[in-house]
Amino acid sequence: MSDLKRTQLYDVHVAAGAEMVDFGGWEMPIQYPTGIIAEHLYTRHACSLFDVSHMGRLLVDGPERVAFLQHVLTSNVMALEVNQAQYSIIPNENGGAIDDAYLYRFEEDRFLLVVNAANTEKDLAHLMTEVKNYDCTITDITADWAAIAVQGPKSKEILTILSGGEQITEPVKNALNTLQLEGRTVRAAKTGYTGEPLGYEVYIKSEDAAWLWNRLIELGAKPAGLGARDTLRLEAGMPLYGHEMGVDPDGKEMPIFAVSLARFAVSFSEQKGDYIGRQALERQSAAFKRIMNRDFSDLDVLPKRIMPITLLDRGVMRAGMPVYRNGEQIGWVTSGTMVPYYRSEGEGLATKILDDTAKRAIGTAYIASDVLTDDIVEVDIRGKRLKAVIPPYHMRVDAPPFARPILYKPDEEAAAADTGNRAAKAVELLRKATENHEWRQKQCINLIPSENSASRAVQLLCASDPAFRYAEHRKIKSFYDQDVFYYQGTKFIDEVEQLLVEQMKEYLGCSEVETRVISGQMSNMAVFSALMDWKNRLDRKHTPQRLGYVMNNHIIKGGHLSAQPMGALHDYIAIDPVTERSAVVNFPVCKDNIYKIDVEETKKLIDRYRPELIIFGKSMVLHKEPVAAIRRFVDEQNIPTTIMYDMAHVLGLVGDHFQKPFEEGAEIVTGSTHKTFFGPQRGIVGVNYKKEDLKYGLWETIESRAFPGSVSNHHLGTQLGLLMAAYEMNTFKDEYQRNIIENAKHFAKCLKAQGLDVAGDPSIDYTETHQVIVSVGYGCGPEVAERLEENNVIVNYQATPEEEGFTASGALRMGVSEMTRFGFEKEDFAKLAELMADCVLRNKDISGDVEKLRAEHTEMRYCFNDEEMRDAMGGLLGQIGL
Amino acid sequence: MNFPAELKYSKSHEWVKMDGDVAVIGISDFAQDALGDVVFINLPGEGDSVTAGEAFGDVESVKAVSDIISPVTGVICAVNEDLADAPENLNSDPYGAWIIKVENITGQEDLLDAAAYEALCAEEG
Repeated sequence: MSDLKRTQLYDVHVAAGAEMVDFGGWEMPIQYPTGIIAEHLYTRHACSLFDVSHMGRLLVDGPERVAFLQHVLTSNVMALEVNQAQYSIIPNENGGAIDDAYLYRFEEDRFLLVVNAANTEKDLAHLMTEVKNYDCTITDITADWAAIAVQGPKSKEILTILSGGEQITEPVKNALNTLQLEGRTVRAAKTGYTGEPLGYEVYIKSEDAAWLWNRLIELGAKPAGLGARDTLRLEAGMPLYGHEMGVDPDGKEMPIFAVSLARFAVSFSEQKGDYIGRQALERQSAAFKRIMNRDFSDLDVLPKRIMPITLLDRGVMRAGMPVYRNGEQIGWVTSGTMVPYYRSEGEGLATKILDDTAKRAIGTAYIASDVLTDDIVEVDIRGKRLKAVIPPYHMRVDAPPFARPILYKPDEEAAAADTGNRAAKAVELLRKATENHEWRQKQCINLIPSENSASRAVQLLCASDPAFRYAEHRKIKSFYDQDVFYYQGTKFIDEVEQLLVEQMKEYLGCSEVETRVISGQMSNMAVFSALMDWKNRLDRKHTPQRLGYVMNNHIIKGGHLSAQPMGALHDYIAIDPVTERSAVVNFPVCKDNIYKIDVEETKKLIDRYRPELIIFGKSMVLHKEPVAAIRRFVDEQNIPTTIMYDMAHVLGLVGDHFQKPFEEGAEIVTGSTHKTFFGPQRGIVGVNYKKEDLKYGLWETIESRAFPGSVSNHHLGTQLGLLMAAYEMNTFKDEYQRNIIENAKHFAKCLKAQGLDVAGDPSIDYTETHQVIVSVGYGCGPEVAERLEENNVIVNYQATPEEEGFTASGALRMGVSEMTRFGFEKEDFAKLAELMADCVLRNKDISGDVEKLRAEHTEMRYCFNDEEMRDAMGGLLGQIGL
Repeated sequence: MNFPAELKYSKSHEWVKMDGDVAVIGISDFAQDALGDVVFINLPGEGDSVTAGEAFGDVESVKAVSDIISPVTGVICAVNEDLADAPENLNSDPYGAWIIKVENITGQEDLLDAAAYEALCAEEG
């Protein structure tokens, strides 16, 4: 093998006893003495290292680099921001793949293109020909930098030891970062070829490669070879050039769209211009859409597709084996082997991954495009036809930190509905509801920050007669904007609603309030819908334009679900033609406090993007939002925008102790009325537009998007209850809000003193709101929250801004509002902190102590409770018949 | 690597142990090491005839598939069915994990003794 090339890590592999083979002209480790199965499994449950230094690394530099890359790649290079990477394909004119590649933008003005080792020469020859027409250069830096893939659930923890605690990259796929690992500069990418939800590819100067490799092994990573790399990528459903791309066993070129994943790598954006293969790819895309809609009338352009395949009979599929359907050959297996996996037990979030392992014969196949998921096929394994099935996928990665194998299971028939004794079930339901009520109201310490308990008066009103009525109404211009009700018998409801509007105007400090929305999410939808409608009000003859740039808090930085494109913004936000993603811009956060918006950086982004809408507000919230600073900035700069504050979590804190949104310059406030605001579950919209303002029209549009836009029946029972809660809030808010914030700060300090890891800024006692966030270790949030629930403490496990999602949560999010309302004072929170530390840190049973502490506080405060009130409640209770 | 002296070996890396008139057949330590993790074995049936120099089954590792060549001609009188569920035993215990037993032997390949086989492996190594 003397003419083979060697990577910077060759000696390290040989010293570790690796079996070296020729791979694309490189002498590479296929496996280490542990073997492929052990290496595969170690990647899935801990962390493996892969030497990927053999892959071609090409630096693209020069003024026309973007135009050049747009021409030779399928992806939209303009969409790539600094510190982002994207998957791409190098197409030929026929819409086939010369290679697949990853494009990295570590620096403002240069791109790094990483290609397959075996194709580097071919790619370079092609790119060198094409680059002649552009003012830019390609430099092969394969020898200057080594590349180590660090993959698996422990990868982040291990690398973070070397970075001294600095975040390796943002916790999202394809994020990049340049940082120091023990004093050596590396470029890290949250990318990989194993399907691991936690995995990085780290680029390091050649001379430091062996050092990094050895340090990672000292910290618990193990080396893995090309064998495991192949079984891992196969299980993850990732294509390999020469198998799922390139030419098929008949020598025919496979179209790029044969790989479903490829559609994310192909862009037809205007920015791309007339790139290589564009026309062929557009034909493929049209064919792909037909096939996805199960229109198989024209399969000429895309006769076969790459699909996962699972062997049902015993055996092993290999690349090249023919696949049959009803006796007719429909294609071939493109990759196949036996892949190991860890067995698991339990369901849902409680799924436990066991030490016990098993294997399954899986692969990918290039087969007729009219084959559907769950279809049964046959694979010819050396003359024997064995039964196989097309599964939807082999693995999923949407529950980090683990990649989860998905074993093929045909759908089970639904169990027959239980039609037994319903009268007995009715009694049972009441009994269970009673038990639950007692547990949550008298025995549990409720620390969910988005919940509260309503007073008895509120609860009673919610159950009274209006709960079963209708009261649609609308302002009519002919009657000088008087509300007209569509139903009779609604005078009381009309009066209640007008009183509620007045109470909420007083509370929020604004000119107009809409109370008919029945949830916080609906409040946001009504506002977004109104903004879009108002934007298009002068042109009703075209399809309305969606909202352009919208600035919000990213969901992983604590942003509300209901202010995201995946939530209430979904149908109202435009697709940015440059990035081809939702036109959302996220507030940047402070480097030293990820819970706080970085105002100066925000100003730069506002200046650059000119967002139509700025949405403040979070669901994981420790700080005031910088409404006043941003209002000042957009006014000074004369930037036309709308500033909205989604106060869902902090609606009950509006006032002197927290924020007065309208005084600070918010135009619209939305919220839910049952979090810190202790009313029934509803929504609210307040605006501060005056009749003479241009944007008063926007307010009127919000009203019509509430009714008839969002609700017909606006849940009159809870509206009545909300009026009582508003009376209580306007009467007791000063004391309630002050106590909440003092209690939260005290609780945070006590938890810290007890040895728990409290997030936030210690100089302000960690929090300015009702919330306290405690880190309990990466991925441990669900387990710790479950343990606390068994001990009668109800908290919310939550991913911090550095974590990958809720299944990987390492934090508990808690709020003090409900227990403050039940009369908890500082010493009670101190006692609670001590108990929680016992449970979280020392695994002690605290259930009895919790019940005892809770039993001392069952009388609700901050509500009316005099004799006259009790008499009146008794009257209503009697009328309801209880 | 282990080359038990009491066994005979074929050039295609099977081992044979004569137990009276019955030949017990498996794959060698060298073979299992070269294959890597064995994940599947295709076993013949009891009563099948085998011919010296011809394949009677195959063994699959993660990486590849290999035929298992019979060193003798005869009739299979026993099959180690345990291997169907635990093919990895071929890796962990290649000389304990026999594959088939053959009786009515009428012919055999030229087999090597342990020393000659070890030399062959060193050459291929």
